[in-house]
Amino acid sequence: MSGDASRHSRPRRPSRLDLGTVATLVAAGLLLVAAWEIEVPVARLRGAPAQLAGLLRQFLPPDLGYGRQQVLPALLDSLAIAWVGTLIGALLSLPLGLLGARNLFPRLGFPVKSLLAAIRAFPEILLAIYFVPMVGLGPFAGTLAVGLHSVGMLGKLTAEIIESADLRPVEAIRAAGGDATSVLRFGVLPQVFSEVVALWLFRFEINLRASAVLGVVGAGGIGGLMFNTLRYRHFAQTGAVVLATVLVVLAVDSSSGALRQRLTREPLPASDP
Amino acid sequence: MSNGSSPSRGAHRPLPPRRLRQRWVSTGALAGLIALTAWAGARVGFSLRELLGNLDKLTRLLDDSFPPEWSFWPRLRAPLVETLAIALLATAAGSLVAVPLSLFAARPVAPAAWVYRTARAAMNLLRTMPDLFWAMLFASAVGFGPFAGVMALSVFTAAVVSKLLSESAEAIDPRVLEAVRASGGGWLECVRFAVWPQVAPHFASYALYSLEINVRASTVLGLVGAGGIGMVLRTQLSLFEYDRVVLIILVSFLVVLVIEQISALTRRRLV
Repeated sequence: MSGDASRHSRPRRPSRLDLGTVATLVAAGLLLVAAWEIEVPVARLRGAPAQLAGLLRQFLPPDLGYGRQQVLPALLDSLAIAWVGTLIGALLSLPLGLLGARNLFPRLGFPVKSLLAAIRAFPEILLAIYFVPMVGLGPFAGTLAVGLHSVGMLGKLTAEIIESADLRPVEAIRAAGGDATSVLRFGVLPQVFSEVVALWLFRFEINLRASAVLGVVGAGGIGGLMFNTLRYRHFAQTGAVVLATVLVVLAVDSSSGALRQRLTREPLPASDP
Repeated sequence: MSNGSSPSRGAHRPLPPRRLRQRWVSTGALAGLIALTAWAGARVGFSLRELLGNLDKLTRLLDDSFPPEWSFWPRLRAPLVETLAIALLATAAGSLVAVPLSLFAARPVAPAAWVYRTARAAMNLLRTMPDLFWAMLFASAVGFGPFAGVMALSVFTAAVVSKLLSESAEAIDPRVLEAVRASGGGWLECVRFAVWPQVAPHFASYALYSLEINVRASTVLGLVGAGGIGMVLRTQLSLFEYDRVVLIILVSFLVVLVIEQISALTRRRLV
């Protein structure tokens, strides 16, 4: 008899067709369509690792003379592009981040954030396509592209950092008769500054990689060398390009990462632009 | 004036040595940063005058671009589908590779110290190369076309997802892991019953996030011959057909935005 009662009170088993299952099925279907669309060559798939290894073997030994004469100046260009581009992005994104913070400007938040999302959706390399004919071939075009694209992510994350700030100091300064500039200078900036600087450093790491590829469209930096040495099959020179890029990116990543760790109490959520 | 905490009084008093050193260090750092910026600005040829003086060229360029040549759209449909297919396949393949890599690269989960160190090193090395560098490498190794694009973005995805996932795997609740171990579970059982249930939602979220990155990247892969809509972009760019170029850019922009919105909505439900 108790079995009868429990059968009625037992909750119904949830349907097997929950959201996760449906999503998995849809994803699997899309993948099949995609594989069919690309016509993934199964025979070539098996040969690909060997082919890549064969190519990489030809990179050795890297052409160090080429490295000194061509790669080093191009890498310095890439570093300079990333640095100035990050600064442009930082300077433009700070006011936009302030305006986009919903706790300071409730009505402006949505339009400003939409603008930032639109800026983010254009990759640097597409922006460079317009800057190159405008200011000519070379690193200046790349710098402008990197700078403009950075505004999107920096503005969004700056706004989010400001939104997580404590508003009580702001209120205190208002209550003591402070005007808008004092509110920003003494109420908001001291709370967010170190995290925003950590964000800029993180963006510098990203921009170094971005500026490395801009040479493909003639916007300066090391990407042009990569493209041309591969095209003319001077693989020992490509080896020098790859080696130098990996070393510089590793060095910048680790020093910038160490600095960021000192600037923020907890790791940034910034791996998610 | 008699108020002891008045800031003007402190300014006249000599600074304690530690504060003084701090001030020297920060002044030096600031000067270094300014010098670095001046060097970099000169190196890239930064000039506001050049930027503002060439605004008329931009106007002419935009005049050439607008209105976009809408009738070109039918020739974009197939490359666009190819772009999306590249992004999807690369996301799936790269995320799958990332799962074991990230487990080996998470300290509490890694089966041995040397495995942990090797996996970390591999992960960091993979991450140093930009996505288009991989695309150029694979285009040279396996030939031009979407297949090179899929391979390149797979490697890039594996690097990004394994980095994020290894951080999640390091942050799991260790008590569950200990419980499975205490009841005699081996490494696979630990992963299956202690680690995976805790990181699975994060994994799904990171995979979606990398799908967003991949859709964005796959629109420009074609610039180096790795398939997708970027191949058309490269041709039309070399023909100076800016009214077609702008249509390609607009179409990619819309696709990226739509995928981002879908993915962001789904991710919000996940974690």
